[in-house]
Amino acid sequence: MSYNVKLNVYEGPLDLLLFFIKRDEINIYDIPIAYITDEYLNYLQLMQSLNLQLAGEFILMASILIRIKVQMLLPRPETEKLDIEDPRTELVQMLVEYQKYKEIGEQLKRLEANQSRHFPVTLTSDQRNYDPELFLGDITLIDLGLAFQQILEKLPKVEPVNLEIMKVNIRQQILFIRECLKKRSRIRFSEIAAKLTDRLEVVVTFLAILEMIKSMEISVSQKDIFGEIWITKKKTIQDNVISNA
Amino acid sequence: MLSQTHRIVLALLFGATEPLTKSQVDICLEEDIDLTQIIADLNQYLETEGLPVWIQLVAGGYRLMTRAEYEPWLSRLFQNKGKLRLSRSALETLAIIAYKQPVTKSEIDAIRGVDTSLRPLVEKNLIKITGRQEGPGRPLLYGTTNHFLEYFGLASLQDLPQVKELAEIAGEDNLQSDIVEQDATE
Repeated sequence: MSYNVKLNVYEGPLDLLLFFIKRDEINIYDIPIAYITDEYLNYLQLMQSLNLQLAGEFILMASILIRIKVQMLLPRPETEKLDIEDPRTELVQMLVEYQKYKEIGEQLKRLEANQSRHFPVTLTSDQRNYDPELFLGDITLIDLGLAFQQILEKLPKVEPVNLEIMKVNIRQQILFIRECLKKRSRIRFSEIAAKLTDRLEVVVTFLAILEMIKSMEISVSQKDIFGEIWITKKKTIQDNVISNA
Repeated sequence: MLSQTHRIVLALLFGATEPLTKSQVDICLEEDIDLTQIIADLNQYLETEGLPVWIQLVAGGYRLMTRAEYEPWLSRLFQNKGKLRLSRSALETLAIIAYKQPVTKSEIDAIRGVDTSLRPLVEKNLIKITGRQEGPGRPLLYGTTNHFLEYFGLASLQDLPQVKELAEIAGEDNLQSDIVEQDATE
């Protein structure tokens, strides 16, 4: 059994930082990074002592804060000071951007509260959920039965499926191809296919050809895409083809 | 007094299942009418007669709505409905999508600094997938729906709460730091 405890307010690390900034009236563009890092880590410790699992984002932010703190502590040559970007810049931009949407979210909340007090006169599907106990009074067992009947009628009909016995198999077609190759050593696939009666037979014959290529009984060549397939008998015929097939 | 046209428009509002647009009304009436004026007249009529309904401009159309003061009774009729509110994280996410649409989940996550679950908002029909972004992985793009506008009572996306410009926030903060400084000197 696990408990999912959410500490009241913070939606994430940015939210938590904004809380500190607001609470301590900190200028978001000049964050005392050492102070805020301490506050942040204290909070994480508190959460850990309460045995709350910390989301990965909170730990990531801790590492970002510490990195910035270190960068701020590093001494910099006087001349470079102006050129080097403030290590806090990126974090500040994130905070400002997040704060903007947080505020809009709060405004949406007010709009939601306002709008929820009005009900459309024509019911939309999301308003049709009457309290079942209030409105199910007149439903009888017959109504339920009829409703069920209607659902059954709407279900797709089960059509009988005809299963045909395969008239051909690969072994048989290998023998057939061999027969064709007895008279001539080279033959077109279309010639063989012409002797076949249905699609399935053609497919099985093609598989037989693949099988014979594998056992190196024949070789196959085709000049262009969709062009004629030529089947050529190889000189050494391996007799174990049939048993492998 | 209401004209016949006024009464027809009111009847259409009663019958419509979605916000009624000007083009729908024009088609039904087979003429081009000044709908804005007629709606204004009807709203005034409904008000002076003390009727419990009014016409709201929402999601690009007009909709007949009950007045706010009748909410206690209607919420009893619909039970729990209307009492369910979106969570703060859902509202934040919607705010981002509404302003930045079409937007990918990773862009939303980057702004919020957390992993965001968009499915509940799709299921509530507040946002929808609008396409895919060209580029690596072709991530899904999200945007708000018409129902989003209806849910928040907005006539169009232009009616969204104004985004405080960055400069404005900066200005406020400067002001705040000025005050702090003043306090310090006092």
